[in-house]
Amino acid sequence: MNLAWKEMKKNKSKFFIFGLIVLLISLLTFMIAGLANGLSQDNAALIKELPDGQFYMTTEAEDNYALSRISSTQQKELLLKYPDATALSIQMGMFHNAEGNQQSVAFVTTTESDIFPKVAAGEMIVDISLKEEGFKIGDILTSNQFSGQWEIVGFSDQTKFNHAAVAFIHQEDFTEMYRTTDLQLLYLADEEVKTIDGLTMYSNKDFLNTIPSYSAEQLSLNMIIWFLVVISGMLFAIFFYMMNVQKIGLYGILKAIGVKTSTLFIMMWTQMLLISAIALSISLLLSQLFQNFAPQGMPFHLTLNTTLLFAAIFLVIGFFGATLSGLQIKKVQPLQAIQQGEI
Amino acid sequence: MSFFTIQQLEKSFTVGETNEMILKGIDLPLHKGEITALVGASGSGKSTLLTIAAGLQSASNGHIYFNEQDLTSLSQEQLRQMRAEQFGFVFQFAHLVPFLTAEEQLLLMLDVANKKKNKKDVARVLELVGMTHRKTAYPSSLSGGEKQRIAIARAIIHEPKILFADEPTASLDSKRSSEVMMLLQSLTKTLNLTTLLVTHDEEMLRYVDKTVHMRDGKILDEQLS
Ligand SMILES: Nc1ncnc2c1ncn2[C@@H]1O[C@H](COP(=O)(O)OP(=O)(O)OP(=O)(O)O)[C@@H](O)[C@H]1O
Ligand SMILES: [Mg+2]
Repeated sequence: MNLAWKEMKKNKSKFFIFGLIVLLISLLTFMIAGLANGLSQDNAALIKELPDGQFYMTTEAEDNYALSRISSTQQKELLLKYPDATALSIQMGMFHNAEGNQQSVAFVTTTESDIFPKVAAGEMIVDISLKEEGFKIGDILTSNQFSGQWEIVGFSDQTKFNHAAVAFIHQEDFTEMYRTTDLQLLYLADEEVKTIDGLTMYSNKDFLNTIPSYSAEQLSLNMIIWFLVVISGMLFAIFFYMMNVQKIGLYGILKAIGVKTSTLFIMMWTQMLLISAIALSISLLLSQLFQNFAPQGMPFHLTLNTTLLFAAIFLVIGFFGATLSGLQIKKVQPLQAIQQGEI
Repeated sequence: MSFFTIQQLEKSFTVGETNEMILKGIDLPLHKGEITALVGASGSGKSTLLTIAAGLQSASNGHIYFNEQDLTSLSQEQLRQMRAEQFGFVFQFAHLVPFLTAEEQLLLMLDVANKKKNKKDVARVLELVGMTHRKTAYPSSLSGGEKQRIAIARAIIHEPKILFADEPTASLDSKRSSEVMMLLQSLTKTLNLTTLLVTHDEEMLRYVDKTVHMRDGKILDEQLS
């Protein structure tokens, strides 16, 4: 006889409220994780969204990409040797449009590449977040550091750096603005590790961590997320515990008439897994909907994989919590229940 | 040796520093088709004796023979199986499962006892306890007497050999009590059960076959009615 199901059917509202709590707690975790990830994405989406590979900067730069200088002759040699590589530079800067609206951006220029957007001299591709700021295709932009002007020819997605929108410009324009043909970085979208003389190699993640503002911020955001996950998991465990404690009398009676302890455990697990699975699915769905319909400007970033990972963690912690509290079932003496009177 | 025999049974509890002897050597045979009633002052050890005999707690010394087997030598799991398949229980409170209908309570018991689930048997037993009309009711909508009837039905549906009843009428008024006792009496006869019953109510003794008086953990005397 399916006791788990029978009980849930009879006590619909109790189990509904219980499921609702699991739903709300997990949704809270998902949303905050989404916002935290969004912030982190805001800081470094340009790098985070790149395929796994290697970054190189000159060894003298000592982990500070802004000080790294790869000369144009060295660029040519390297690009000949590694045709798939891209040399690039990132510089914080500013432009304004015809109305004089200023916008600070991260100017990025790259050599010919399949990974980064292509722009011609006098053209610019900017991060999609600038759309909400009122910029549109065809806008003409100027900058104090630049004698010419740019026209916006397109928008790119997930290209933010240091909390600023990235503006891709042609190398020629970049050279004029910053008065150097050197580029800071070489990027190879290749899992295979290749050492290059005079250059230090970083994985994408290691490179991100060389950016001081990024690594500090990331630490706080990760702490927020994991605290939430762990505390939510513990809350689940506590709720399952309370549910079991309420039923100690019932478990005792069932044991007295000869129900196996394992049957009681299975009953508890079934209820726990069923409710969690339903509540987590709804919560997952809601957070993914929010991910798709959240305003562009809001830093919210939650991939399905992250959500699934959290859901799995909740299930595991909840399962352990339930099992731990289920030890009560093991301990309960049928006799106590009988003597404690009516249940 | 009779069908169910309690021999030299002793039970002591350690409370703090002191070791208190609650049962001081009980010898009691139980017979098929008979109700044996335990009576005596509160604290004389009636419930302790009944629950040890039923395998719900262990004895300190002595033996309980049932079907040539010594219950005191069985493992927890063997005792559980024994309770599920051979014993039936009725207590002061019905202790029904709150989320099962009357009918489902019985089906659950059949399940637990590893017996084939048969709606006909369930219907027959519900008829026997006069509860056919309430078979789809949940415990919360049953009266005390009705609950106790369902509890009795649950205690016999799997055709146990022994029925243990600890003050089954204590929560009922005298009319309901008599009805329940008559029911226990007729079931013991028709199903050839061996019934051990604890009661406080002298009135109920006219439905039993043997009365055993206890005092201070010992049997004072036994009377056939
Ligand atoms: N687990 C226990 N630990 C310590 N003492 C116990 C325990 N169980 C019972 N006792 C003691 O054993 C004695 C007998 O208890 P028991 O419940 O058998 O009495 P009883 O005859 O059924 O009484 P009543 O008529 O009130 O139900 C009591 O003094 C009780 O305090
Ligand atoms: Mg008692």
